[in-house]
Amino acid sequence: MASASERSYTRRDTVLFVVCFGLSLFGLFAPPSWSQGISAGLRETVLRPLVWLQVRAEEGKTSRVRLRAITEQRDSASYLAQGLPSLLAENERLRQLLSLSHRLSTRYVAAEVLHQAQATDGRTLLLSAGSEDGVAAFDPVVAPEGLIGVVLNAAERSSIVMTWAHPEFRVSAFTVNGNAAGVVAPSAGGDGVLEFRGVPYRDSVPVGTLVLSSGLGGVYPKGIPVGTVTGVAREQLGWERVYRLLPAANPGSVAHVLILVTSSGDVAHAFPSDSALAAQRRDSLERIRLADSVAQAAREARERRADSLAALRRDTTRVARRPVPVDSARKAAAPPPPAAVKDSTP
Amino acid sequence: MIPARANRLQLAVVLLILVVLHFYVRPRLWGPRTSPDFLFVALMLFAMRNGPGTSAVAGFAVGLASDALTPAHFGAGALAHTVVGYLASWARAVFFADNLLVNAAFVAVGMWLRDFLVLAVSGSGDQPILTELAVYSPLQALSSAAFALVILLAFREWFSIRLDA
Repeated sequence: MASASERSYTRRDTVLFVVCFGLSLFGLFAPPSWSQGISAGLRETVLRPLVWLQVRAEEGKTSRVRLRAITEQRDSASYLAQGLPSLLAENERLRQLLSLSHRLSTRYVAAEVLHQAQATDGRTLLLSAGSEDGVAAFDPVVAPEGLIGVVLNAAERSSIVMTWAHPEFRVSAFTVNGNAAGVVAPSAGGDGVLEFRGVPYRDSVPVGTLVLSSGLGGVYPKGIPVGTVTGVAREQLGWERVYRLLPAANPGSVAHVLILVTSSGDVAHAFPSDSALAAQRRDSLERIRLADSVAQAAREARERRADSLAALRRDTTRVARRPVPVDSARKAAAPPPPAAVKDSTP
Repeated sequence: MIPARANRLQLAVVLLILVVLHFYVRPRLWGPRTSPDFLFVALMLFAMRNGPGTSAVAGFAVGLASDALTPAHFGAGALAHTVVGYLASWARAVFFADNLLVNAAFVAVGMWLRDFLVLAVSGSGDQPILTELAVYSPLQALSSAAFALVILLAFREWFSIRLDA
């Protein structure tokens, strides 16, 4: 092979470059249905072994993490089992709270996120589940924290998700107290936050309010957390306020997601709000405290009983060993007085 | 002198190793945004040993694969990789010698340019472009360049690379 300096810049190179450049431009401006079809076709044919390889790698990584997590859980469980059953119950309860899948009543498919090297990874995600698993376009995708996005295209064994970070993402939403409704979209500046748009000027939404999907439009079920209000982004013409939202879930760091394959109904119960979690936690802590106080009272009662028994035993021993005075001994041994004797004679 | 056919075979072996590393090892590494892009390193190594036209075709293929797996804006990856592949091969033939550090720096600059083109063509906002190009892209470029350095050192006989900086 010729060395680099010996290579010549030929017309053939220019033609090849122009052809590739033209094909790229065609892909860039082709209708989305075409480009999605090409993507799915490539993923299912040429790239299938590579995607399979990546899925195995993700599984291997997940297995290691799971093994570590299970080992930690086993260690902590064995530690707790030594003498703190109330905390063990609390641990179990928190685990149940964390497992979103147990709470979801709708049918879902669990999928692994196969992150890519592109700088735009996060706007769209490649998932390891596809139409073979029952996934279809427009299925909502959620993480335990909240909404991730919607399935854009489902191939046989993989699917593409448009996350909330994508410029074309929209979801109809309302505040958790129900006093304001609007549409959530990524911020125009693309700074990784969301905007709650179309809120009437008369409706003010306090900072910290949770915003949930409203279920309108039929794509997203009602009640999925979308984000938390962090402030007013802008006010438009005195009739509308746009609020800034801190997204509930981060697609850039998520490793596993659930695809809701039947998205009807209300799933709000599957995502307890922070306040609900706090209340449950307070409640469980209160119960533990109560259990602790009962145990403390029982312990104190036992101690008191043991003290009193010991005191009684001490007193008894003291009485038994007390020296008897000589006069009283004599009095006890002396015959009864004559009057008494007289009275006793018939 | 090593025959051209053997040289091509050696290059193919290295590229195959890099493709396997990209899809099997990369997911196990640290964050996906700063882990080395083995596929891009493979493209740059290919571009260093081939003509601009062939490199443009290789770049197009790599970009198409990236677009199929991350279709944020289909065609953006293909366009960026085509341009970078073509420019890498052309610029290396014109400007650079077979030097280890220069080759590694070449990979880093190419990756940064690739990210810039992808983000610009994808129509991202100003803030994400700045963050990507100022933080994540340089980090990924550095990690990829470091890995390319390791590959070049490991296969320096095959790539006929000089070790003097």
